[in-house]
Amino acid sequence: MKNRNLTFYLLTLVAMSLLSCKNEGEYHSITDKIEAKQKPYHGNLSSEELLADTDLITVKEGEFTFLIPERKGQIKSYACIECHSKPLEQMSNSSFDGKRAHWDIKINHASIETMDCATCHNPKNMNNLNSLTGKDIDFNLSYKLCAQCHSSQFEDWKGGAHGKKVAGWAPPRASMTCVNCHNPHNPSFDKRWPVQFNTQKVIERQEGLDGAEEH
Amino acid sequence: MSDNKKWYTLDLGLNKKKSTSSSCGCGNSQGSCTSQAQQTKEEELSADEFYERAVNAAIGDERKKDGFEQVFDVKMDRRDAFKKLTASLLIGAGAVSSCTSITKDSDSKEKAQIDWEEQFKGNYKLMTDDEKKSTVDRLMRSYELRTGKNINMSSKNAEEDVLFGYAFNISKCQGYMNCVSACVEENNQDRNSQMQYIRIHEMDDGKGFNFNEADDNYYHEVPAEGHFYMGTQCFHCDNPPCVDVCPVQATWKEEDGLVVIDYDWCVGCRYCMAACPYDGRRFNWSKPEVPENEVNKNQHYLGNRMRKKGVMEKCTFCVQRSRKGKNPACVEACPTGARIFGNLLDPKSTIRWVLENKKVFRLKEDLGTEPKFWYFMD
Amino acid sequence: MGVLKVFKSLVIDSLDTITKGSKKYHIWMGFLTLVMLIGMYCYSIQLDEGLSVTGMTDRVSWGLYISNFTFLVGVAAAAVMLVMPTYVLKDIDFKQAVLIGEGLAVAALIMCLAFVVADMGGPSVLWHMIPGIGVFNFPASMLTWDVIVLNGYLFINITIPLYILFRHYQGKEAKKKVYVPGAVLSVFWAVGIHLVTAFLYQGLQARPFWNNALLGPRFLASAFAAGPALIILVLAVIRSFTAFKIPDKTIKKIAMIVTVAAQINLIMLVSELFKEFYAPTHHSESAYYLFFGLHGKDALLPWIWTAIPMNVIATIILTFGKFRNKLKVLYFCCFLLFVAIWIEKGFGLIVPGFIPGPYGKIAEYLPTGIEIGVTLGIWALGAFVFTILAKTAIGIELGELRYKPK
Repeated sequence: MKNRNLTFYLLTLVAMSLLSCKNEGEYHSITDKIEAKQKPYHGNLSSEELLADTDLITVKEGEFTFLIPERKGQIKSYACIECHSKPLEQMSNSSFDGKRAHWDIKINHASIETMDCATCHNPKNMNNLNSLTGKDIDFNLSYKLCAQCHSSQFEDWKGGAHGKKVAGWAPPRASMTCVNCHNPHNPSFDKRWPVQFNTQKVIERQEGLDGAEEH
Repeated sequence: MSDNKKWYTLDLGLNKKKSTSSSCGCGNSQGSCTSQAQQTKEEELSADEFYERAVNAAIGDERKKDGFEQVFDVKMDRRDAFKKLTASLLIGAGAVSSCTSITKDSDSKEKAQIDWEEQFKGNYKLMTDDEKKSTVDRLMRSYELRTGKNINMSSKNAEEDVLFGYAFNISKCQGYMNCVSACVEENNQDRNSQMQYIRIHEMDDGKGFNFNEADDNYYHEVPAEGHFYMGTQCFHCDNPPCVDVCPVQATWKEEDGLVVIDYDWCVGCRYCMAACPYDGRRFNWSKPEVPENEVNKNQHYLGNRMRKKGVMEKCTFCVQRSRKGKNPACVEACPTGARIFGNLLDPKSTIRWVLENKKVFRLKEDLGTEPKFWYFMD
Repeated sequence: MGVLKVFKSLVIDSLDTITKGSKKYHIWMGFLTLVMLIGMYCYSIQLDEGLSVTGMTDRVSWGLYISNFTFLVGVAAAAVMLVMPTYVLKDIDFKQAVLIGEGLAVAALIMCLAFVVADMGGPSVLWHMIPGIGVFNFPASMLTWDVIVLNGYLFINITIPLYILFRHYQGKEAKKKVYVPGAVLSVFWAVGIHLVTAFLYQGLQARPFWNNALLGPRFLASAFAAGPALIILVLAVIRSFTAFKIPDKTIKKIAMIVTVAAQINLIMLVSELFKEFYAPTHHSESAYYLFFGLHGKDALLPWIWTAIPMNVIATIILTFGKFRNKLKVLYFCCFLLFVAIWIEKGFGLIVPGFIPGPYGKIAEYLPTGIEIGVTLGIWALGAFVFTILAKTAIGIELGELRYKPK
């Protein structure tokens, strides 16, 4: 009898310690946990305050509705036709002696066979962008222009895998649009030096203790 | 005052009867100690008063009883007993200091008081919200006393229905290391040893994820020809091995999935460091130093507040930012958009879209640690 | 109370004994004190500046301290090899040796605890670990298990000999009923401390070098070789410096234990090496680093290639009774074995666990002078404690120390 009691206590002890070891085992994996506990977030946290200083517009693309920064207000001399009052051929004429704007713009975007200024700009209507089929695209919705060719990036951007958020993670979602990061005339990023260099690690390497490969 | 308990006491059923006198650091039940003391600057303590208070702290109500009763015949839990024992040691020190330096101003006494409470405060994980609040207040006051400047320290808890996750786009990262530098500045990391939570590994094209041959301290123009870049930091595992091994529960997983450390509870055994398969943890081998003008004064107790030597620290997904709805500093600083952060429980969050629509993977998934940090490619 | 009075007298008598002795004894104790003082000075530097004064880094975060800790747990556990036959199997041969063995266990445990404290980043907040006033992460953390078993073992190993000596001091026989249950418990406990210490490392999926099922058993085998080997050496010293009679038969019997344990240890070593090198995987890199070096980093090569031949030679010599029974040869072999296992279970186990790191980075580790100073200081502390314990115990056992009721 005594023995049985003892065994019982021992077993309970073992069981308890095992249970307390693995009380996290509720879900098999993090994906199971996410699936079980997910629900649309309506909590206290919101990015609205962080976004208060930014002009935003709402866009709706397929199933996604989110905010992007307003663009026209950021362009220094919008509307364009205030200067572009004459057809381009006349303005680019060397005899023209007015002020020159955008003189520094060099297109470094695809090859010249594929793209030139007129691929995106409509010489006849400078206030709007120009789709491949000649339809107007608002400057605020310039991503539509990019999406014509960069369809996979567009998909990723809509979902949130490409690009950055304007502020925080919390809803409402406000994503940067293409031209907030990429210069449309020269969209790729330049090579540059890293902003950080760990001199302490270099010292460790010189001491021969840190053995990372030399390159 | 007395129900505003300053430290954690392990409730083993032994301390059902709370000792009436000292529920706060100095044990003075109606006097000013802890957070109130910190706010009432005008109250000056003379040397005699200080001595009086130290005596009070040590023996409190029991001073009318005889010696034996004072020490043994007191109903108190072990925590209190320990506190009082050490407090009685302080009487000696207090007596000496009040004799020698009568000119000592009240600030330095308050400083001593704060140090005292700091030394014997409990584990943050087990504190109530009020205790957390007063702990944070004390630390803010302490900083003010020491430097004359104010910091803002939060004790904000995890929000409901939030589980933080992170995704890293290997195709996008160009190795600029803006994230590393933003992280160091945001999180007040030691400038002397140049501690960094994030490592960017420069990998050779065509060799796969070959960390062995990767360089995590390159300095040349990036992106370098024939290389790609992959960042690592703490992955905030859902099944974190570091948490299990900690002998004192100084590190734990919060409700929102952040794996955090109470720097003041850590004993510095570095077992968690050995247990981490991802090189996610850092140790303060010497006293961490940040120039005063570079200190980020927006702090969280579990995040970027100042650390001391001999304790662990690590990436917290910038708890001081993320719990306000912001993105971690690395996400914000990244110029390429390679870093994506969000709420895993929100089906409409962008991180969820990444997980469901991109081919994501994690490092060392076979270990069963369930990191909440995914990699993907365009 | 009578007991208190006797105890007081025992303390006074033992203080008397340990402060008196031959010139050699005083030189020995003076030397140990000096080393301890140097160790304390080094530790004070470490306290002041932080662990940055050691050779440890974020990449290799445990070093000499934890290596010595691991090894000494084994030495402490080995006392059981003498306890079991003496108390439980009633083997008279070991009676003298067992007190020495338990004294050694106490000294080893004190050193273990000292090494752990020396390794801590915040020794001033160690009270966080005390159950009740701190937070004790039991049973999740193996370190808390280790704290329990080490302190429990220390308690057992202090109380049993104390009880026996206390009785002998009064000129009475120790009651079997009192100490045999404790002795039996300590047998299991000893296995426990070493297994738990092995689990400390074995349970880390992050370190494939440690995360292997053989680690625990190999710990035991090596401990039961190194511990008794040390006991043989200590007995040899005691035999030549004191009047304490230790028959050859005892030493030879312990030698038998050492031999068997060393043989088993060698078999396990072969098994480990086979696994690592016959079908090397990504996880074999630590073993490669240990035995051959990786990418030109080879700080451990001299150590391990000292240890392995010493280990093999000692085991082979011990295997032949003809050699083993010659005491001079035996002492030499025990010395070889002790040093070999100290290297293997200390440096050779802890450091390669961190190399290469989680991402394959190879950062080597070399202890600094301060680290070595602290380590020597703790070893001196252990020797000091052991000398005191042994001198008192021998005094009582020889009948020089007896309670004189006034």
